[in-house]
Amino acid sequence: MRIPDTRLAALFAAALLPLAAAGQSADADRPGVDTIVEKSNLAAYYGGDDGRSEVRMVIYDEQGREQRRQFTILRRDIEDGGDQEFLVVFSRPSDVRGTTFLVKKHPGRDDDRWLYLPGLDLVKRISAGDKRTSFVGAHYFYEDVSGRSPEQDEHEFVEETDEYYVLRHIPKDPDMVEFTEYRTWIDKQTWLPMRIEYTNPSGEVYRAIEAGAVETIEGIPTVTKSRVEDQSLGGYTLMQFRFIDYDIGLPADIFTERSLRRPPREWLERTEGGG
Amino acid sequence: MPLAPVLLLLTALAMFAGAAAAREEDPWGEEDPWADEGGDEWAEDWGDEWEDEAGGIVVTGFAELGAGMRADSDGPVGRRMTLGDARLRTEAEWIGDALEANAVGDLWYDAVIRDLQVEVRDLTVAFSPTEDIDVTAGRQVLTWGTGDLVFLNDLFPKDFVSFFAGRDDEYLKAPSDTLRLGFYNDLANVDVAWTPRYQPDEYLSGERFSFFSPRAGQVVAPDPPIGAVQPRRYELAVRLYRTVRGVEYAAYGYDGYFKQPTALDADGRLTFAPLRSLGASVRLPLWSGLFNAEFAWYDSLDDGDGEDPAIPNSQVRFLAGFERELVANFTAGFQYYLEYTRDHDALIANSPAPQFEPEEYRHVLTNRLTWRISQDRWTLSLFTFLSPSDEDFYLRPYVTFRQSDEWQLTAGGNWFGGRDDHTFFGQLEDNSNLYVRIRYNY
Repeated sequence: MRIPDTRLAALFAAALLPLAAAGQSADADRPGVDTIVEKSNLAAYYGGDDGRSEVRMVIYDEQGREQRRQFTILRRDIEDGGDQEFLVVFSRPSDVRGTTFLVKKHPGRDDDRWLYLPGLDLVKRISAGDKRTSFVGAHYFYEDVSGRSPEQDEHEFVEETDEYYVLRHIPKDPDMVEFTEYRTWIDKQTWLPMRIEYTNPSGEVYRAIEAGAVETIEGIPTVTKSRVEDQSLGGYTLMQFRFIDYDIGLPADIFTERSLRRPPREWLERTEGGG
Repeated sequence: MPLAPVLLLLTALAMFAGAAAAREEDPWGEEDPWADEGGDEWAEDWGDEWEDEAGGIVVTGFAELGAGMRADSDGPVGRRMTLGDARLRTEAEWIGDALEANAVGDLWYDAVIRDLQVEVRDLTVAFSPTEDIDVTAGRQVLTWGTGDLVFLNDLFPKDFVSFFAGRDDEYLKAPSDTLRLGFYNDLANVDVAWTPRYQPDEYLSGERFSFFSPRAGQVVAPDPPIGAVQPRRYELAVRLYRTVRGVEYAAYGYDGYFKQPTALDADGRLTFAPLRSLGASVRLPLWSGLFNAEFAWYDSLDDGDGEDPAIPNSQVRFLAGFERELVANFTAGFQYYLEYTRDHDALIANSPAPQFEPEEYRHVLTNRLTWRISQDRWTLSLFTFLSPSDEDFYLRPYVTFRQSDEWQLTAGGNWFGGRDDHTFFGQLEDNSNLYVRIRYNY
């Protein structure tokens, strides 16, 4: 794998479902900030019209103790850059096995999220206010998983390097988040955010998400390894994506309460063409 | 008190402490988290190759020891111990092309009743005869409705003995032998749960917990424990539901019996009165949180005008709740719950002990506080029931420490109190207890 120095890195965004990107070379005139933000958002979260991936996550706490999570994600875009649906089915650890998670992402308004706990046969709705709450104990937030809407921040151009466009993002509603700003290093070739650094009110970078590996899958540059570290929490989380497949034709009706109780096995299984 | 479970628990605790100590030497702890790393950490041992897709029968489960003690030894139940479980849980899952099979079973030695116990919690096959129908047949746990530990239209069996003893929350829901059908369409989804043989709640019998007896006029713990006469008929529960733009609407119907033995038959024996219920609920995002409201109309079929003191009256139940995260990882939920007993005048006029009858309006407030810290390793929770009309309360504090994905330690309590002995929570005052559980997941 690539060994990240401080600049290489990757994003979780990728995280949820690996991303796509237009493999376009950045030459000539630099695109405007809004264009970079839009292309990066699409690259990070909207690869293909839908996709599946298996994910393994290792969560290390400040004392180095580890927890593991393994799950499969299905994603379907309703509109590029707009509404999306996610279904997450956990297979590990054993006490989390069978837990499922459904997200209906609505940029511009609150996402709808449900969690199914099989032991109680309970469909629990998760309130929308906790976007910046840990996702199943990881250092990733719910918002990292489904993507923070670009409309929630003001964007500024910082600099252009050989490899990256560096942007600065300031939240429009600072009370909703724990950071004062964050910066992204966006790969000029793939438009993937390769590193995100969050700054706290004291001006210190306390949290960073980085891409550890990018692979081109079915023509779509995709983050396959990601790492997040949060010094305010201590520890870090590693995430790896495999068996990724895009444009598999996921039907709309699998992103419903029915699938929370009875996950759609035929779509969760690995596909022939998967990466 | 049998020593074996206590010794087992102590041994497990020692192992737990040892495991914790060993973990501190984990090499990751020494590492500068920002240092460059090789790829090795990705290849950490998961116990299998990722390439091997899980298939066949997947078996998981846990072993758990639990011990709980009554806070006060003066109550009518002779023994102090309220929880004494050495439990083995096994879960097996098989997924075929057209069929899924599930089995979940518990085997445990229960030191309170000094007996070996077996419970099958799930033994089902599930399949879809058409694209729009799901069938799940067999022993299963069922839940619906919007309340948090308050149930209106969820008339599936509950195990209050386990709940009050401090077993995992999962055990509040008791399984039933049911055929569940799900019909899915664009208009409204329909769930039908048909249970050929009515399954009541696991009610307080005096074996482990005392309760108020209106006949005796005091809190009792009968020995031998009480056993109510059980109807031998089916019960049927139906739900229609639909989600429109993030708002969940549902309507419910039930035909069966009250789930608690609150009636007397012609021979004066405790039994369950026929019940028909209708209700509805809504749940939606509101103010960065979640709002829910639900009502149910309980029609006590054999006591239409409320004049029969041996049969519970009809009721209207209403619930409204709001939950939101106040700060990161700290969530608060509030509920208001109302039980309105219909024909209350007739109830009082005909009751042999009107002073022990429920209030016409029983109000209950609940509050749940949940705080998760350190990557969810620690969960601190407090659930409070408070009834201004009954002047009683029930507090459920607990803390869970997830030492690893395998080891978990939980400690908590159940604290009941109230002004009177006959109210819902007040009657349980002598049952207040503290417990500790240690679990190993495999």
